[in-house]
Amino acid sequence: MSGLPKRILKETERLMADSPPGISAAPKDDNLRHFDVTVAGPESSPYEGGVFKLELFLPEEYPMNPPKVRFLTKIYHPNIDKLGRICLDILKDKWSPALQIRTVLLSIQALLGAPNPDDPLANDVAQNWKENQSAAIAQAREWTRQYAQ
Amino acid sequence: MAKVPRSFRLLSELEHGEKGIGDGSCSYGLKDSDDIAMYEWNGTILGPPHSAYENRIFSLSIYCGDKYPDVPPLVKFESKITLPCVDQQGFVNFSRIPSISNWKRDFTLETVLVELRRDMAAPSNRKTPQPPEGAEFPPADLETIAKQRNL
Repeated sequence: MSGLPKRILKETERLMADSPPGISAAPKDDNLRHFDVTVAGPESSPYEGGVFKLELFLPEEYPMNPPKVRFLTKIYHPNIDKLGRICLDILKDKWSPALQIRTVLLSIQALLGAPNPDDPLANDVAQNWKENQSAAIAQAREWTRQYAQ
Repeated sequence: MAKVPRSFRLLSELEHGEKGIGDGSCSYGLKDSDDIAMYEWNGTILGPPHSAYENRIFSLSIYCGDKYPDVPPLVKFESKITLPCVDQQGFVNFSRIPSISNWKRDFTLETVLVELRRDMAAPSNRKTPQPPEGAEFPPADLETIAKQRNL
């Protein structure tokens, strides 16, 4: 991997030296644009106590185009589907080159604390979330225990 | 150039496949919609017109191993077919399809299906008598075979 843009080197350096609380991100040895990520479930959310694995990739067009991110750990969340794809505006049309890997990961952590069933990706989960919120939250807790610990 | 990892490459192939490819003569999708590793895929090829394959839908199983797309996927016809690049068990022998015998990382599942369909329509193949419709190749464990072949 030669000629990695300065911006990516800088972001990586900072992430490794000083990562936000509950978040870790490190590039893979064989592809410095491909990161192993972990995000801890936020306190007083159904994901509390869980550590979720994700992967992140910086495409050729980064930072003009957003990073690509998905969950590898199974999670019960209305904005995350069965393949770990995430419905988050800044990963799509609300992306701006002023954002960074760090801000993306913080937004994902925030999404865990504030599920949005009105903009669902996983329709069955979102429906359950709206119709029977306490059951949905219990399910999210159960999956956190089962898959993220 | 940035090297797109297997997972994000397959996610974009999946999205492309879900939208439907070109004229609908080929299609593919994940076999199991919550297979987070995206190993097993289904494909279909609609037999090309004016050939012995016309009006038939050929079903295929595809296994994208850990090394995909650096190496080709394992591809097996489920519907029985007589075609030089397909062996007695239904497996596709990439070395018999000149256009993709030399595998490149930017080839996709779509490339494979489209080239197989083109091969059916090739002058040397298009009149080959075909097995009765509905006949199938024996089932196989693609995961084990892919691992044996180091794919």
